[in-house]
Amino acid sequence: MKTKFFNLFNKNAPPRTGIIRDFDKKTTGIKVTVFFVYIVCAIVVVLALFPIYWVIMAGFKDLREFMSSTLIHPYAFDFTRYTTTWNQLNIIQNYLNSFYAIIGSVVSALVFNGLLAYGLAILKPKGYKIVHNMVLVSLLIPATIALVPLFINIQRFNMGGFFTPLWLAAGANAINVVLFRQFFLSIPGSIIEAARMDGCSQLKVFSKIVMPLSKPICVVVTIFTVNGVWSDFLLPFLVLGVGQWQTVMVRLFVFSTQQTINNDDLMRAVVFSMVPPIILFFIFQKKLTENIVTSGIKG
Amino acid sequence: MAKFKQHATSWFIMLPGIILFGFFLWVPLLQSVRMSFYRTRNIELVEFVGFDNFISIFNRHEFRQALVNTFSYTIWSILLGFLVPIFLALIIGETVRGKGFFRTVAYVPNVLPGLAAMILWRAFFSAESTGVINILLGHLGIGPMTFLTEANWVIPIIVLISTWRGAGATALIYMAGLAGINPELYEAATIDGAGIWKRIRYITAPAIFNLGSTLLILQIIAIFQIMYEPLVLTRGGPDNASISLMLLMWNYAFGGNMDFGRASAVAVITAVILLGFTVLYQIAQRRKVDWD
Repeated sequence: MKTKFFNLFNKNAPPRTGIIRDFDKKTTGIKVTVFFVYIVCAIVVVLALFPIYWVIMAGFKDLREFMSSTLIHPYAFDFTRYTTTWNQLNIIQNYLNSFYAIIGSVVSALVFNGLLAYGLAILKPKGYKIVHNMVLVSLLIPATIALVPLFINIQRFNMGGFFTPLWLAAGANAINVVLFRQFFLSIPGSIIEAARMDGCSQLKVFSKIVMPLSKPICVVVTIFTVNGVWSDFLLPFLVLGVGQWQTVMVRLFVFSTQQTINNDDLMRAVVFSMVPPIILFFIFQKKLTENIVTSGIKG
Repeated sequence: MAKFKQHATSWFIMLPGIILFGFFLWVPLLQSVRMSFYRTRNIELVEFVGFDNFISIFNRHEFRQALVNTFSYTIWSILLGFLVPIFLALIIGETVRGKGFFRTVAYVPNVLPGLAAMILWRAFFSAESTGVINILLGHLGIGPMTFLTEANWVIPIIVLISTWRGAGATALIYMAGLAGINPELYEAATIDGAGIWKRIRYITAPAIFNLGSTLLILQIIAIFQIMYEPLVLTRGGPDNASISLMLLMWNYAFGGNMDFGRASAVAVITAVILLGFTVLYQIAQRRKVDWD
């Protein structure tokens, strides 16, 4: 009797690239190991997806059902429960706010991190190494440690209540600077020299030559920034407070810590907060996973 | 002179970035150090008190608990957060059909916002009989359990949830490392009669050792940032059993008392510990060996 798994040793199967190789004899031990591998993979799939599936299902339940039913699936798929929560909590406003926060942050991340990396990779003025080292150290010190004085400074400069500090914060991202710098280093120096000879200013070289050549890394930085700003809530909570500019995540944070919301609505709010990043992931999936593999940075 | 002008323009181009790094990171870090030596009222520094803030937090139960917890977090995150991605990478690396699918699916939890994942898992571990884990245990005939109010359980659970989110992404990094191993090594080992375990022990493990040590240090550094996870899941409880250093800082500063002096003292101590790990990281980086 041959099962699908053992057919993997057929000539038509793609070559094996793991520890078990095609030149291995097909002993029972090897067959059992391959079988075990697929069992574990199946478990991983369930573990990874089930919680997400569960919360979407939980969103179809009303409070009574949510608090009493021991079934995974709802009694009925009533989609109006989602729309009611969406309208009641006016989530659309939070979506818009998150969108504003993201747009400004992406611009700021591309321009300021790009310019700094341009200086560190290509211009290299006297003493640039000090700045470079300070950026590298920033990579290893979590920004959270500086949160308290940062909050105080924002209060002192009266910058609270609007997105400005969040936008500017995206311009001080060490990972992005490192990513940009690595990419800029691979641009042939001759191209830049030629542009300089033709009388391009340093800023023009950046905007007309370096950035257009760096589209792949700009895409990666954009994805990281969109994802990061969408998910962030600590600094946004301190900056925006509970006012009109709350982003989706700040709203969710307030809900989750202050218990001012019913549990079924909370589950629907969780789903609302998950949808955009999941869509983004499936559009840019290849780009994201490739970059993790090449740079070793998870974003 | 022309050269000087060029240097000056270059610095001018880098200036906005430097100012932003200064405002959001470097200056606040220094301010943290300064503030940790002051008594504060609201956002004002009132008077220099030397090491008083440090002495007072060391005398506080919650700080000592947070320090102990940090070690507990570290050990659990080595057991789970460090080993699970390696295991995952090895397993997915052995698949032939569906490799891309397994890779993608393992990565999906990483896409969820961390806060959303935490709220989701809070419902999973709910002590009610409708908590998902309790429903599953019920099918096995085990009565409902109270996970998040058990002092011994909360930290492993928090690390487990973080691992659930991050393992797929970390496994991708390992898979890239595994793909770089020269296939001839495996072939030669097979000819010499090496079985699967011997191949893992003598080829795979040494090949990803450096990558692993780097990721381990980064993992430990990440552990010190744990803050919103216990805040959302248990508010640091039960009885401070899951409070982390950063959460303690948050509580001192934003938990109602606006005790920015003590909060800064906690931040400084954390930074000093992290600095130690950073030095370790540098040493690990320098000891890189080529395996080709």
